[in-house]
Amino acid sequence: MKMKRILCVLLSAMMLLSVFTACGSTSNDDDSSGTTTPTADQIIDSADIEACEIVFWHAMSNKQEEALTAITDEFNATNEWGITVTLVNQGAYTDLSTKLTASAASDTLPDLSQAYNNYVTSYLDKLVHLDAYVERDYDEMDYEDILESYRDENSEFGFVSGMPFNKSTYLYFYNKTLFDQLGLSAPETWDDLITIGETFQSELGMVSLGYDDLAGLIEATLLQNGAEYISEDGAEFDTEEGLEAITYLMDMYNNGYARLVGEDLYFSGPLGNCLVGAYVGSSTGVSYITMNEGYELGVSTLPGNTTKAANTAGTNVMMFTTDLNKQAAAWEYLKFLTNTENTVYWAMQTGYMPIRTSGFESDEYQEYMASSEAAQACYAQQEAYFSSLNFDGSYDVRNDIGSKFEELVLAGADGQTALDELAALVNGILQ
Amino acid sequence: MKDYSSPVYTVRRKLRPFKGFLYLLPSIIVLCVFTIYPLIKTFIMSFMEDYNLVKGTYTAINLANYKELFSDATFLAALKNTGIYVIFVVPISVVLSLIIAVFINDVVRGKAIFQTLYFLPYVTSVIAIGLVWRWMFNSNYGLINSILNIFGIESIEWLNLPKYAMPALIIFSVWKSLAFNILIFLSGLQTIPQDIYRAARVDSTPKMRVFFKLTVPQMKPIIVYTFMMGFISAFKVYNEVYSLFGGTRAGPANSAITVVYYIYAKFYNSYRYGLAAAAAVVLFVIIFVFTMIERYVTRDRDKVKSK
Amino acid sequence: MTMTKATKKNHSQHIKMKPSAVITKIIEYVVLILGAAMTLLPFLYMILSSLKTYQELNAIPPVFFPSIPQWSNYVDAWNSAPFARYLLNTIIVAVCTTIGVLITSTLSAFAFSRLNFPGKNLVFSIFMATLMIPGEMLVITNYQTVSNLGWIDSYASMIVPYISSVFYIYLLSQFFEQVPNELYLAAKVDKCSDFKFMTRIMVPMNKSCLASIAILNFISSWNAFLWPLLVTNDPNMRVLSIGLVRFQTESGADYQLTMAASCMLVMPVVILFLVLRKYVLEGVAFSGVKG
Repeated sequence: MKMKRILCVLLSAMMLLSVFTACGSTSNDDDSSGTTTPTADQIIDSADIEACEIVFWHAMSNKQEEALTAITDEFNATNEWGITVTLVNQGAYTDLSTKLTASAASDTLPDLSQAYNNYVTSYLDKLVHLDAYVERDYDEMDYEDILESYRDENSEFGFVSGMPFNKSTYLYFYNKTLFDQLGLSAPETWDDLITIGETFQSELGMVSLGYDDLAGLIEATLLQNGAEYISEDGAEFDTEEGLEAITYLMDMYNNGYARLVGEDLYFSGPLGNCLVGAYVGSSTGVSYITMNEGYELGVSTLPGNTTKAANTAGTNVMMFTTDLNKQAAAWEYLKFLTNTENTVYWAMQTGYMPIRTSGFESDEYQEYMASSEAAQACYAQQEAYFSSLNFDGSYDVRNDIGSKFEELVLAGADGQTALDELAALVNGILQ
Repeated sequence: MKDYSSPVYTVRRKLRPFKGFLYLLPSIIVLCVFTIYPLIKTFIMSFMEDYNLVKGTYTAINLANYKELFSDATFLAALKNTGIYVIFVVPISVVLSLIIAVFINDVVRGKAIFQTLYFLPYVTSVIAIGLVWRWMFNSNYGLINSILNIFGIESIEWLNLPKYAMPALIIFSVWKSLAFNILIFLSGLQTIPQDIYRAARVDSTPKMRVFFKLTVPQMKPIIVYTFMMGFISAFKVYNEVYSLFGGTRAGPANSAITVVYYIYAKFYNSYRYGLAAAAAVVLFVIIFVFTMIERYVTRDRDKVKSK
Repeated sequence: MTMTKATKKNHSQHIKMKPSAVITKIIEYVVLILGAAMTLLPFLYMILSSLKTYQELNAIPPVFFPSIPQWSNYVDAWNSAPFARYLLNTIIVAVCTTIGVLITSTLSAFAFSRLNFPGKNLVFSIFMATLMIPGEMLVITNYQTVSNLGWIDSYASMIVPYISSVFYIYLLSQFFEQVPNELYLAAKVDKCSDFKFMTRIMVPMNKSCLASIAILNFISSWNAFLWPLLVTNDPNMRVLSIGLVRFQTESGADYQLTMAASCMLVMPVVILFLVLRKYVLEGVAFSGVKG
């Protein structure tokens, strides 16, 4: 009876409130005249753009924010239309993602925002389709100049959903001094990794390898062996090649050649302090590795097996404004932000990679690359880039598969058991 | 002096029983808008299959989320961990902080210093606390293992092995909750009439006896409060997991995952709003039942007192 | 006045202590000192870390003391964001929220502990129920509400949702219930109105609890991060805690700067605590009021 009364009170309170919030929300739909799917005849000619303010949400800090601000200031000062782009820092990636969701739900999305594709899967209809703009300016800006894997990533939803911006890849970081002492060189293949593991173990009693991102490791390892990872239907790695890849991985851990990060959280610490010989992690992490005195850092591409595959990470810039004039203005800014000159400037300032082939090949970047082993490695493996697909449940898999794998390593599971359990986990989520 | 027949007075008299609501009005408004309304939305959301928060769409109204929830091994593990956490952290923390508060209140010298020192964890940056405790728990050079080694106990891999993750979390959380409880208890101790103690002192009653016969009964409402709030916040534990394990995961192989950690991951990382809402409702029901039982257990004497 | 009296009494007791009492005192001090070391350590670590280099902070095994104090960390942290403006906003928000909480908690706690009205228990249960849902579930809906009210980029959005806290309402009503009911009845006989009784007697008698609430609430408002970030876009409306995350990225963190910023963030709160601390320990003499 008491519960009934509580329910009554709660329900009436809710009704009152929904009336009150409903009243408030009507004011928000003022730009219903706009569209997120502009056609070629709808889009505004660049000559006709009127001065306006574009709000751009990002999650960049420190040097990255400085570089972004420098590029934006230049755009604001030099553009012929009087467009002002306002940068708004929204904290770290997770904060940005939360804020995007909240503002998508209340129709207050910014004009532009950095975002990973998985952030926007529940409100794809709020993304501006950039196809018409790309189409129109294709010759001018040479879309194909953008690295293929980035173009693929930005059209995985069936339309051009954004422009690639701060892109990184996974690299192999190693203790060059120790490698030289042991007569080892940077690995090219899985077999090399095994040899390195054996040598470190027998000569120094040390673990040779660590991985920062286990979910990324599993996907990359499968692809490196020509196996597939997951699709909307479930696990695709329950195959001959898949078993081989998982067995190899489990052996690395079971033989003590590789270890989990555990209490150290990131491997940059153990590598710098000579507790592991090498680790695989994001290329942007290079500035956070400080080697103990007397030791030198080496950077190399990810080793492969039957083929090479290297994870990429980093966000794209997406557009949400439905106002056609603002869209055209924001598009001008996007072109500016990602043109060869600026992508090179961005990459050199931050350690991210240029998103254009012409950027990689520019004299300026080539000169920079000569002094940066990390940049060389990024460039060397650009053919092998892949990015993970996003669909219902793909993020659940990403969240859960890493801890499942950790559990399997701690239990010392063999390849077949590990494969079965991982496949069962994935199928449980996706089917 | 007063015109008792005036309509204003009649209205006033009629409204008198509702005067309580007048006092509550500010709180009621704020709570309705910012807690009860979203709470009800959460309840409704939990019955919507494939709920899309942004568009407000769903495929059906049913129990699918609850079914999925109870067949999810991770959620069941989270429930179990949360239960263990609540059972250990709250009683240990309340008892410890009551003892410390009584000690601080009792000492003559350094009262102010102790009071300040014991409050410091409440103001220390969460990141700093996480860093320090990860260092204390470190398997090779951590303080805790060094102490264990002195007593001939072998080092424990607190943060590397799943079976030690919960004990580490419990130790950490007890420590972290002390500051709040001690402050409350210190306030509470000041409301105890001094004459009661004077009488005890004259009789030179042993301190233990004074504690149990005078302090505890006098402090009962405050102790009930700390237990009640302790349990409610312990059921909702999230920040402690986040800061101890560095925010990347809930301990090795997610072995210290709690219900709210699960809710957070489902809501903000996986965008499974209905599922997260269902988990929140389950948690709500558990806390509600638990609180009811607790109020029943601590009830009778409270009633007598307020009459 | 009560304080000095109590201290005197303690002193006289101190002089003629029995051996068993001496042992109790020693145990008390040992326990307190050991415990205090545990609470002081993280705080010290935070201060020391704010003076380290990146390398020192990430060394394995860790080094406790910086070899050369890096005061420049403070300069870097200060310059990374408009801290002065953030400080002003943080103070406005924290002070307003705390005053709001003190007022609403006093009113509500008084209603629950002294007034009788229909449905009191039900209302109290509903109040308690609001604590049982994890705040993480409320954020998005509340963002929608605030945005519908047009409160984005305003102080209201950061203050109003937090001016009522069941946590403190319940705490204060437990304290109010401690006050002997005879006082209330006596006041009624004297034709003292409820409101007057509350402000003249209940509030002064529970200064200690109100001081605790002020401290606790001020700190949580001071440290709040996600909500202020969500409801502001304009840098002029942002608060201090938001400046802190700027040192963390997905591939690593400049913890030494975070620690320097944390130290700066924490100092005003420590000062506030030191100011209000003595009220927490201020005893109430019921007998005095009674007489």
